[in-house]
Amino acid sequence: MTDTQIAGAPSAGAVVSKGGRKKKKDREASLWSDAIDDLRRNPVFLIGAFLVLCLLVISAVPQWFTDGSPFDSTACVLQDSLKTPSAEHWFGYDIQGCDVYTRTVWAARNSVIVGIVTTTLVTVIGGALGLLAGWTGGIVDSILSRFTEIFFAIPLLLGGMLIMSALPGNAWTVSLVLAILGWPQIFRIMRSSVLQNKNNDYVVAARALGAGTLRITLRHILPNAIAPVIVVGAISLGVYISAEAALSYLGIGVQPPEISWGLMVSDASVRWLQAPHVLLFPAVALSITVLAFIMVGDAVRDALDPKLR
Amino acid sequence: MRGATHAKWAACAVAVALAATACGGGSDGGGGGGGGAGVVSSSWGDPQNPLEPANTNEVQGGKVLDMLFRGLKRYDPKTGAALNMIADKIDTTDSQNFTITLKDGWKFSNDEPVTAQSFVDAWNYGADVRNKQNNSPFFSDIVGYADVHPASGEPKAKTMSGLVVKDPKTFTVALKNKFSTWPETLGYQAFSPLPKAFFTDHAGWLNKPVGNGPYLVDSYTKGTGMKLRTWSGYPGPDKALNSGVDLKVYTDNNTAYTDLISGNLDLVDDVPAQQLKNVKNDLGDRYINQPALIIQTLTFPLYDPQWSKEGMENVRRGISMAINRDEITKQIFRETRTPAKDWTSPALGQKGGFSATLCGDACKYDPAAAKKLIQDAGGLPGGKVTLTSNVDTGSHRDWMDAVCNSINNALGEGPVCTVNPVGTFADFRNQQSSFKLTGPFRSGWQADYPLIQNFLQPLYYTGASSNYGKFSNPDFDKLVDEANQESDAAKAITKFQDAEKILVQQMPSIPLWYQNGSAGYAERLTDVALNQFSVPVYNEIKVS
Repeated sequence: MTDTQIAGAPSAGAVVSKGGRKKKKDREASLWSDAIDDLRRNPVFLIGAFLVLCLLVISAVPQWFTDGSPFDSTACVLQDSLKTPSAEHWFGYDIQGCDVYTRTVWAARNSVIVGIVTTTLVTVIGGALGLLAGWTGGIVDSILSRFTEIFFAIPLLLGGMLIMSALPGNAWTVSLVLAILGWPQIFRIMRSSVLQNKNNDYVVAARALGAGTLRITLRHILPNAIAPVIVVGAISLGVYISAEAALSYLGIGVQPPEISWGLMVSDASVRWLQAPHVLLFPAVALSITVLAFIMVGDAVRDALDPKLR
Repeated sequence: MRGATHAKWAACAVAVALAATACGGGSDGGGGGGGGAGVVSSSWGDPQNPLEPANTNEVQGGKVLDMLFRGLKRYDPKTGAALNMIADKIDTTDSQNFTITLKDGWKFSNDEPVTAQSFVDAWNYGADVRNKQNNSPFFSDIVGYADVHPASGEPKAKTMSGLVVKDPKTFTVALKNKFSTWPETLGYQAFSPLPKAFFTDHAGWLNKPVGNGPYLVDSYTKGTGMKLRTWSGYPGPDKALNSGVDLKVYTDNNTAYTDLISGNLDLVDDVPAQQLKNVKNDLGDRYINQPALIIQTLTFPLYDPQWSKEGMENVRRGISMAINRDEITKQIFRETRTPAKDWTSPALGQKGGFSATLCGDACKYDPAAAKKLIQDAGGLPGGKVTLTSNVDTGSHRDWMDAVCNSINNALGEGPVCTVNPVGTFADFRNQQSSFKLTGPFRSGWQADYPLIQNFLQPLYYTGASSNYGKFSNPDFDKLVDEANQESDAAKAITKFQDAEKILVQQMPSIPLWYQNGSAGYAERLTDVALNQFSVPVYNEIKVS
């Protein structure tokens, strides 16, 4: 994993950018340039990335995709209650006579917020603590590891239910709670990755040249240890989105008048035999979203893991 | 079909437990509900409490008591009028002291005659705090109730001094206050007479209750079912028109419904919500759906000055007119609710005080007029209104959202109406009874007896027990007092309606809808009806 990097550059910190530039000339590829090359040709990644891109645009500017708004207080007319899909209203209406398409489109935002915010928080918290534990070792490592195990022992959904029942439900609190419960995984991966890397020759070399701890950690250890973190982060993004839906379904995640696919599924599940379309569309949207992120994560893992090549 | 198989098995279990019929053949004659010729098989749930009349306040126990007991009066299942049953006459000159004379010839099914003492003993038993009877508050109007049922501490007496037996056919009742329509309450099962065996062999009686109604208990297995057979010696006028009723315990109404459709059961009351979509196809006109003695209202917190100050009655009326009851009962409740037109229930009947015109325009959906009324009166307090209810049961969340949408659509001022969902009923009740809510809240009221008094006095009389909005209006109180002193029942009801008209002006609560009772039955049954308590009138059912 690190041989090419050492060969290619005296300072491992410059590996990422230099390797990328050099590649075309002499085919001397780095981990990252190889990965990008690999991803570009991977249909799973391309489909997943396209879906993720669509989703990001939809959640950023839902008004481009639908005229209505679920926050328009006069949008729902009870006369339309549970009407089935038609040419004008592709997804039909829910029990309150609200357009299911409008609500499905607008609900994407909360799912994407939870997915991205949670993953970012998890990566930052878990990554930083993992780096610290792995690099310093000794007593700091022991304390941090035991501390992590406490959190690791709490199941994501159960813990989420416990904490959320005491908090106001919105996308931000849900993200926070999921991050609090999700970071130990990243911590462990980061820590083991650092432990793997810190006795490598280039680190020893850097130290011999008089580099400080901070410099070695940030410029040498981190760039080489981050790959598995990114992989796990990308895959678990989908998991966090479905966890949000589960919490909202149980009535303790995102709260009305905010909307979320989990909430929509929960509302529709009472009468899904009577009006299956109300349940179907948000459920499918949720599945596609989770699938898209997992596809991307999977493809990135394959690309970054040379053993699979 | 899985349900059907399962239920058939359950029906076998009943048969085995009762050791009455063989079950291998599947169908046991009669061609229908498995009950045999002339016997009605009906869905049942285990009664909550022992089958003591003064202890039963829910439908499942009520079903049995309605077959086993006849009281002084009985509510006509069609008109709701309280007709004399065992009572020959109930006389009073002051609406406070009543002399009750019994008819001749009534007896319990163990041949013990029904006497004045049978009633007095039963009522004293029901009132005594030591017997822990759920319905003891029904006797609280009688003089001496506080002695046998003190709010705290040991009772001072065993009997109420207001009950005096004059001779075997006559007893007198003294009430604490004037209450002209009190005789009309006597159709309630809590006032049933009890035989001596009830007191001498209580446990034995509970295993196989003995009463004075048109049916006898043939056998009773708790958790499985009860077989009732027609009492051939029944002296009353309303003899059973079938040869018996088999009550079968179901834990899931959906199973009972599937059994009805597949011909293993004759009668299901309370058709489950999941089946409502198919019920018209499955049963056609063998589906009964009619208002019960239950009304749902949105009560305003009039203890909060922002809702009670002068002029706010027009805002309250405007909110009422902004609610599209017809559409909500149709779409959200699938017509298991009936849009409210007054503060009582159609189950009372016109003679009992129900009026389809009393609330008038104030309960009719008119978004334009609603908007104008609210704006002219200065708008919603603080520009918004928040509805509160528990949301753990009864699709409360759905209808509150629909009501809010209806209000928001009518006013067109953005999301001014919002919903405050409370997780549990207990929590909601707490907030309600501690007067902490600042917006209209749900209140459901199930009347104890089909009497207009019961829909008005406990809810809107100053300081009344269930007046959670703290509505207080001297004119209303005065009219209720007058109505209670009026010795002529028809005049008393008119007085109560006059009082109700004050509610139209003041709108202390918005009538939303009446809750319906429902039942479905097999083709071989005719003359199936529900009474005011949503209990099937079994003795009138004919089996072909």
